[in-house]
Amino acid sequence: MTTALIDIARVIRSKNAGPTTLTLDLLFNDAAGFDLARQSPALSAANIASLYRLAPSQVEIISYPPAQAIKIVLDRAIVAGTPGDRDVYGAQQHGPLLNLSL
Amino acid sequence: MTALDQLRAELVTPQGRKPLRALAASGQLGYGVPDAAFQAGLAQQPHFIGCDMGSVDPGPFYLGSGELATSIEVTRSDLRKVLCGARAIGVPLIIGTAGTAGAAPHLAQTLAMVRDIAQSENLHFRLASISADMPRDTLKAAVTAGRTRALGAIAPLTTTDIDEASHIVGQMGIEAFQRALEAGADVVIAGRACDTAVFAAIPAALGYPIGPAMHMAKIIECCSICTIPGGRDALLGTLDDEGFTIDSMNPIRQATPMSVAAHSLYEQGDPYRVYEPEGTLHTDGAQYTAIDDHRCRISGARWEPATQFTVKIEGATQVGERAVLLAGCGDPRAIAAMPEILTAVEAIVRELVAGSVSAPFQIYPKVYGIDGVINWPTPAPQQSREAFVMVEVIAATRADAKSVATVFKQYLLHHGFPGRISTGGNLAFPFTPPEVMAGTAYRFSAYHVVEVDALAPLFPIHIEDL
Repeated sequence: MTTALIDIARVIRSKNAGPTTLTLDLLFNDAAGFDLARQSPALSAANIASLYRLAPSQVEIISYPPAQAIKIVLDRAIVAGTPGDRDVYGAQQHGPLLNLSL
Repeated sequence: MTALDQLRAELVTPQGRKPLRALAASGQLGYGVPDAAFQAGLAQQPHFIGCDMGSVDPGPFYLGSGELATSIEVTRSDLRKVLCGARAIGVPLIIGTAGTAGAAPHLAQTLAMVRDIAQSENLHFRLASISADMPRDTLKAAVTAGRTRALGAIAPLTTTDIDEASHIVGQMGIEAFQRALEAGADVVIAGRACDTAVFAAIPAALGYPIGPAMHMAKIIECCSICTIPGGRDALLGTLDDEGFTIDSMNPIRQATPMSVAAHSLYEQGDPYRVYEPEGTLHTDGAQYTAIDDHRCRISGARWEPATQFTVKIEGATQVGERAVLLAGCGDPRAIAAMPEILTAVEAIVRELVAGSVSAPFQIYPKVYGIDGVINWPTPAPQQSREAFVMVEVIAATRADAKSVATVFKQYLLHHGFPGRISTGGNLAFPFTPPEVMAGTAYRFSAYHVVEVDALAPLFPIHIEDL
């Protein structure tokens, strides 16, 4: 049986961390959800890379127990605000995570 | 006696340091400072007031052009509020990253407003301004010596990048603010600055442990964003020798251990470390404890002094003039074919304007409803019944950009594609002209770290008595 990420995370957000890096924060409802997500291959660097059309080396996954959170750090394909960019603030890049099953 | 000496006399006793209250009035001055929380903050008799006024977030235009992202009128009103508030209770006011991007024109516009307000409100104080424009020769020498490093996914810095940039700023740390305060400043207006330095400079100068001081600064610089529900209201940080307390000045906003800890994630590539010119803040040992429903106590952050000073630099370079074509589409067949239509029209336009527009120019079409926002890994399961087409054109001159956009408009409107039934036109224009001139375009050409031997020469101070 699989669990939908959207059912166990209370926050799924994206934002720049500087103009060259995008960060995706997953904040979970409880410790059980956090633990499930931490161990899920759906949240591996390889899988996240495929969702964002990146190489796995451009993806870093960081667990952050104080907030029962997982941070995903991505290289931006285009430096924020360079002509051709889609999202200067990087605040709307969480979409590919919304249908994720763990 | 300087304002800093007064704080020292009040807070530093032979028995130890008394609790220091820092009021964060705004995480982005110029978008309105909520009044009730700010007044509640003043009533707490803070020892200083800090505001952040800028960020790299809004993109390269502001750094490149020298313009503010905020409206002049709202910015002036916010500055008046915090200046009058700080002078009314006689405590220092510290503002970092003046005028959105903190380069010379942003600092100058902010200082002009401060001087006007001081005159019209009959305020008298010692004003220190700190510039953050990096000397180009110093940067080029650093590039040549291999003392620069890219921050994230950006090309290595070159001396050409440095020559071509409209503005290059460096983020100052606590050192620059402390120099201004030692010079007797009551009000400090800084160019590009670390958000943390605005709030950590005074505590560090008074001898409070830098770890908790820097951690408090990192949390309070965004005001009440670290609370539930998050908001822009003023936030009070109270620091002692062991740790600090976070207290939103809006009673509906609760600072919980979870909400405050989660704030370490926000806009940070690494939730456990914050890199500053003078060292690194480590928060992996931090503990977050509820004092009551509204306040949170934090302790345990550690400061590691740097063995090598570094400055984070930001540079923006002009890339051309921008025109934007805006149009909708409600035809399912046209929407389905739109990616191919746009590719075909771009080829036609490039051929048509080759004789009249100076090359090179850039065309970036986007179809909202398909992939205008996200570069999706797979096609949508279902096509949307409407879509919005936006074509960004960057060319050497305004006239060239307009030429490309207008020709693109006409050929996109009437492009024939297999299966077309709506031969009156492929686009719905909400207004005309549908091509909009969007001004000069910039890109970030520098987002790098530079190793430096000394910080003070990079961030000179100017003092004036108003």
